[in-house]
Amino acid sequence: MAAPIKLQQALQSVVQSVQWTYSLFWQLCPQQGILVWRDGYYNGAIKTRKTVQPTEVSTEEAALHRSKQLRELYDSLSTGETGGQPVQRRPCASLSPEDLTESEWFYLMCISYSFPPGVGLPGKAYARRRHVWLAGANEADSKVFSRAILAKSACIQTVVCIPVMDGVLELGTTDTVEEDIGLVQHTKSFFPEQQEMHIMPALSEQSTSNPISYTDSQPQFNPQNFPHQIKNNQENDEDEDDEEEDEEANDDSEEENVQETINQIDPASNFANAEPSELMQLEMSEGIRLGSPDDCSNNFEAELQMLGMCHDTSGQVIPRQDDAFQDWQFFNEDLSAGLPQSSAEIQDLSPENAHYSETVTIILQHNHILHSTSNLDPSFSISPNSMFSRWSSKRDILPPLIPEGNNKISQCLLKKVLIDIPNLHCNSKDENLEKGKDGEGGGGRCKKNSSVQEELSANHVLAERRRREKLNERFIILRSLVPFVTKMDKASILGDAIEYVKQLRKRIQELETRNKQLETSQRLKKLPISEKRKIRAIEGGDSNTTGKPVRGVTTDIQVSIIEQDALLELQCPYKEGLLINIMQTLHELRLEVISVNSSMEGAIFVAEFRAKVKDMNGKKASILEVKKALNRILVLR
Amino acid sequence: MEQSSSLLNPNAYTMDSPHPVYAMAFSPSVSSPLRLALGSFLEEYNNRVDFVTFDEESTVFRPEPALSFDHPYPATKLMFHPRPIPSSTSSLIASSGDFLRLWQVNHDGDGAGKSELRSVLNNSKSSDFCAPLTSFDWNEAEPRRIGTSSIDTTCTVWDIERGAVETQLIAHDKEVYDIAWGEAGVFASVSADGSVRIFDLRDKEHSTIVYESPRPDTPLLRLAWNKSDLRYMAAILMDSNRIIILDIRSPAIPVAELQRHRACVNTLAWAPQAPRHLCSAGDDGQALIWEVPAAAAPGTTLPPEGVDPMLSYSAGAEINQLQWSAAHPDWIGIAFESKVQLLRV
Repeated sequence: MAAPIKLQQALQSVVQSVQWTYSLFWQLCPQQGILVWRDGYYNGAIKTRKTVQPTEVSTEEAALHRSKQLRELYDSLSTGETGGQPVQRRPCASLSPEDLTESEWFYLMCISYSFPPGVGLPGKAYARRRHVWLAGANEADSKVFSRAILAKSACIQTVVCIPVMDGVLELGTTDTVEEDIGLVQHTKSFFPEQQEMHIMPALSEQSTSNPISYTDSQPQFNPQNFPHQIKNNQENDEDEDDEEEDEEANDDSEEENVQETINQIDPASNFANAEPSELMQLEMSEGIRLGSPDDCSNNFEAELQMLGMCHDTSGQVIPRQDDAFQDWQFFNEDLSAGLPQSSAEIQDLSPENAHYSETVTIILQHNHILHSTSNLDPSFSISPNSMFSRWSSKRDILPPLIPEGNNKISQCLLKKVLIDIPNLHCNSKDENLEKGKDGEGGGGRCKKNSSVQEELSANHVLAERRRREKLNERFIILRSLVPFVTKMDKASILGDAIEYVKQLRKRIQELETRNKQLETSQRLKKLPISEKRKIRAIEGGDSNTTGKPVRGVTTDIQVSIIEQDALLELQCPYKEGLLINIMQTLHELRLEVISVNSSMEGAIFVAEFRAKVKDMNGKKASILEVKKALNRILVLR
Repeated sequence: MEQSSSLLNPNAYTMDSPHPVYAMAFSPSVSSPLRLALGSFLEEYNNRVDFVTFDEESTVFRPEPALSFDHPYPATKLMFHPRPIPSSTSSLIASSGDFLRLWQVNHDGDGAGKSELRSVLNNSKSSDFCAPLTSFDWNEAEPRRIGTSSIDTTCTVWDIERGAVETQLIAHDKEVYDIAWGEAGVFASVSADGSVRIFDLRDKEHSTIVYESPRPDTPLLRLAWNKSDLRYMAAILMDSNRIIILDIRSPAIPVAELQRHRACVNTLAWAPQAPRHLCSAGDDGQALIWEVPAAAAPGTTLPPEGVDPMLSYSAGAEINQLQWSAAHPDWIGIAFESKVQLLRV
């Protein structure tokens, strides 16, 4: 670490050379692992000057003095704040807070800040080893720039943080200055450190596969001579394109030219004398290296090359392709830093976006491969007998709009393809399901958006309802066929039906075996009386197995209601007008009778009613209600 | 099918089809004459895919009825295998509808030949659920991969050689309307939820929203990834005359919004031979060719009136489909009403 005086001097010279408001150096404190204010130089507006000696001092010295005074003021204020210590008496010539301008305050407050690596502008610059340029610092989000509010009151508009030595150099100004790579380079040059990135000349596309290796020593361009040329860089869009095309045309000769020009230029030379073509190349090289936001499409290969060749501390150029690919990530971030948005936004990449940057990196690699393998014609050529005519922006020549009918929907076919056709598919699935199996709300996955589908969905609901009704009806029929039903819910009905079927099967088996036995015994035994008796017994048995099991002449009422379908089975001794009484009762109970099956077996009245339960004012007849009502009629004499 | 070339404009070659056409695909094989697959659009079960060749010298359309095949409901997209074997007489074409289907088209010269269904790729476990496909894209870098987009919010990546699903991702919150591959393992999709998302198969947990429509939930209907320069993508919004051009390096901020269409845009295609040109067409009956500006340098702004297209063509009716032939980049095919036109660029 350079001696403090040297740092001061460096800070001073750097801020004066660029005419900015202040410069400070954040140094990494080893114990705490954070960046703390080490030294600074204030070069901005001053409100009042307090000097003891009336002798004139040079502006530089005055400014230096001022910086020291500000530091002293901070120290005194901070010690005062910590309390417990007596406020030291300060000489009357020292600054007091009301003497400071806003920007001086800003400078002073900066002393109190510290940044862990990765946090805040200096932290980020430090973590990434790349400069961070914040234009519009006064408007920045305080998450990005924690001192934004201070900057606002101080009218500090631009802040740059550049990692140098073992910390971060920060420069700020009250002017709005756009990102200027040259300036960054320039400031870096004030701080003794090895130049990491060597500026390489532009390489043409065709040279990608044959990396150039330089046997002579690396020429180092003095960045100080660059700034004014770099600013021209962005304007020379077309020229660059031409230059690129020229390069593509003459690759070998171009490379030679480039080599020569490099060898000719020595670091301290004045570029004003260089030929325009060389200037252009050098300008381009700067632009390319630093990720110029201009069309970089053909520069990627060159950049790859350069990255491969750089990062060599010994200064020898050894093309390293593998390193180049590793550097993609960093380069990609650099590129994004160079893009038009305020760099602050981009650098606010959260960890999730790290995945995205990897994805983008992979895509860009692929893009690079595409470019090198395909013959893309950057200039789009039109055939002489083209269908297309040149666009003219004159309004009166514009072709008339297709007159829109009232019924025409925009993007009609496209919307149909995306919305209606999928529905057609789903509905066809629906229909298939209706015919066959019991699906779970078949085809219900289709999501509906436009009004066309509302119709279709209404149809779907109706279809559902019909299906449910069918099911219920059949459950009731099943219930009526099964004699011993305990509960009235679907599961029990099914369970009982299963039991019944099993019983019936058993019974059939028994009867069949009995039949066989009887046949054999008939042949053996010739007793007609016993036969008849047995036959009668069999017949009697048979008559018992038909329909419902015979019960005694007791009143039996079975009521089953599933949702809105009701099934009633009655058996009771007959009396006059029984049927009509029952019907009336059912009507009073708000049961709409749909079918009646009644018969008389001797004095026994057997009936089966099917009805629909009506919902009147929210009241529906319950099983118990119906049973009670029927009991009353049937039992009452 | 009748064939006629418009006498009014000698460079527009029109073919009349008996039914409206929606899906269209150019065969990517350079050697054979220009071959087009055309999918009909009839809102009923019986639809067809027809094949037509176009001779550049004689400018005559020659239908190939022997190769036609039936398709259940209209095909929402048709695409040929991106890397065909040059001398082969059979091509593979995929169609999306209720499922992804692969067809083998054997074209022995002179219009004879036959098409047959090679496989039906259906991922639904039970036949109860149907998830019809809105679109698909065939991965040029890895042609065994096809990615499909569906209204059930998922995107499915198929390995067509094994006939099995490689992966299925829930891509969006609402129906996915289009999908496009960028690289062997990266695709992007657009949806009714108004976002463009990029997915990397190496990292299925994360997707990145590259753009969201400014008015929330304005569906994005179509997406095209520039295969000649993978940094750029273009998307169309529902009921909008704007085309959004995105740069994947700067998410959320479009490079440009192309606004010269006088009615809604229906379809677009990037130029296969040049890195920054695209052609779009819409309800105003115009096909416009644009040159997309490169990402703006700091300090320069796009002209406030927006970017103007380079070239234009007026068809006279709403253009529903546009395809730019990769094998013959001089030709753009458009479909409007029941006509198909080939335009020389």
